[in-house]
Amino acid sequence: MNDDSVTLDSADAPVMGIDETIIKIDDLSFSYDLGKTNTLRNISLDIPAGKVTAFIGPSGCGKSTLLRCLNRMNDLVDTAKVTTGKISILDQDINAPDVEAIELRKHVGMVFQKYNPFPKSIYENVAYGLRVQGIKNKGVLDEAVEESLKKSALWSEVKDRLDSSALGLSGGQQQRLCIARTIAVKPQIVLMDEPCSALDPIATARIEELIAELRQEFTIVIVTHNMQQATRVSDRTAFFYLGELIEYADTAKIFGNPSKKQTEDYVSGRFG
Amino acid sequence: MAGHILKNYDEELEQLKDNVLQMGSGVMSAMEKAIKGLLEGDREQCSDVVDEDEAIDRAEKQIDEQGMSILMRFNPVASDLRLVLSSINVCRSLERIGDHAVNLAKRSRKILKAGEVPEARLIEPLYLQAQKIVSLALTAYSDIDEETAMNVIAMDQEVDRIHKTLSKSLSSKIADGGTTQTESLLHILFISRSLERIGDLAVNVAEDVVFITSAEDIRHT
Repeated sequence: MNDDSVTLDSADAPVMGIDETIIKIDDLSFSYDLGKTNTLRNISLDIPAGKVTAFIGPSGCGKSTLLRCLNRMNDLVDTAKVTTGKISILDQDINAPDVEAIELRKHVGMVFQKYNPFPKSIYENVAYGLRVQGIKNKGVLDEAVEESLKKSALWSEVKDRLDSSALGLSGGQQQRLCIARTIAVKPQIVLMDEPCSALDPIATARIEELIAELRQEFTIVIVTHNMQQATRVSDRTAFFYLGELIEYADTAKIFGNPSKKQTEDYVSGRFG
Repeated sequence: MAGHILKNYDEELEQLKDNVLQMGSGVMSAMEKAIKGLLEGDREQCSDVVDEDEAIDRAEKQIDEQGMSILMRFNPVASDLRLVLSSINVCRSLERIGDHAVNLAKRSRKILKAGEVPEARLIEPLYLQAQKIVSLALTAYSDIDEETAMNVIAMDQEVDRIHKTLSKSLSSKIADGGTTQTESLLHILFISRSLERIGDLAVNVAEDVVFITSAEDIRHT
């Protein structure tokens, strides 16, 4: 980020009260082929701070694409392009020329479907982001690693083997380690792209429990194919279909009494 | 509404509804037999109602079990969830109507045993109105029809009105003391009370139908 940019810096970031909008998506259209076809069409939604927001919809509806727009992961695709509208995080247009993706991702962390720890020790995985930020002080790193592992409900399981390879952990533990790695740099927002789809039910339950804990401190946006999971973990749910936002409301409303027939048909298993 | 991707989910929901409706028809037949028994002087019909109540209780348990199985296997949401929850509630109301039908039958037997009492005839209009709204409540459930359900709620006022008039007249006859049939009159009074309660239970069924259609809980409003 250049010297003129002041937003998205933790020191300057406003303190967001619960229910205040932290992510504002305004009339966003997005294309993977330089605008020939829009994968996302005119999406507008406000994501509240300190809550868990779930994106649901059938495969190809654009929910993961939208999630990846939130920390500009789509920059990695050469032909990807926001064709209309904008996304503001903490009142900053994240696609503005003076916002660097790497800087953005310090504030908007991401956890992927397939857990992807680095082939390093448990300790080094968690410390990685902090080292990239230039933190070298062993005491500071030790403290941050312990805090992140505790918040990720992994500390008691790994505290005696922090120097062991992360790859020796079980799948569920590896995913929790990835969450620890993500939150170690203290982002305001954590994006989760189907974080439990590769996990067994017990490991899934642990991650869901963890999401409930983390929402005290972070804003979480989760893409999930598991609608029961959306009902369990999220406060708000957005339903997407064919690149459009069909309905966005409190999760209880979406699964209890949705306003749109398409939503009702999808959540009740009538299509998808 | 389109069917579910899982065909047996549709079949199970349909079966659940059928079972509730079948239970409803059993309950209506019990009411009819109890009152017919009284009006036609047929104690055997009244005894049938008492004997057949076991089948109504069994149906309630079966519907509970089936509802639980659907909740467990298909995790219903939205209107499907409301249908399952309401069906369980409806069957609870029907079981209680069944219990009232047993009360009607038992009291009718006692009245008949004591000998003919002309006031028994006064029950008929109340019974017909109660029967009408139970039948309409079941139609509303069968068709998931909010308008019919709202009619049931409105029509219950007529049940209440007839019951009130009848109770007043029976009570004053009992209070006058000029009758040798006090016990039978008291039984008729309690029959009237049961029919009034049956009307309230039909209203409960109608409220469940409104919950299915609109997701609004209109009980106690």
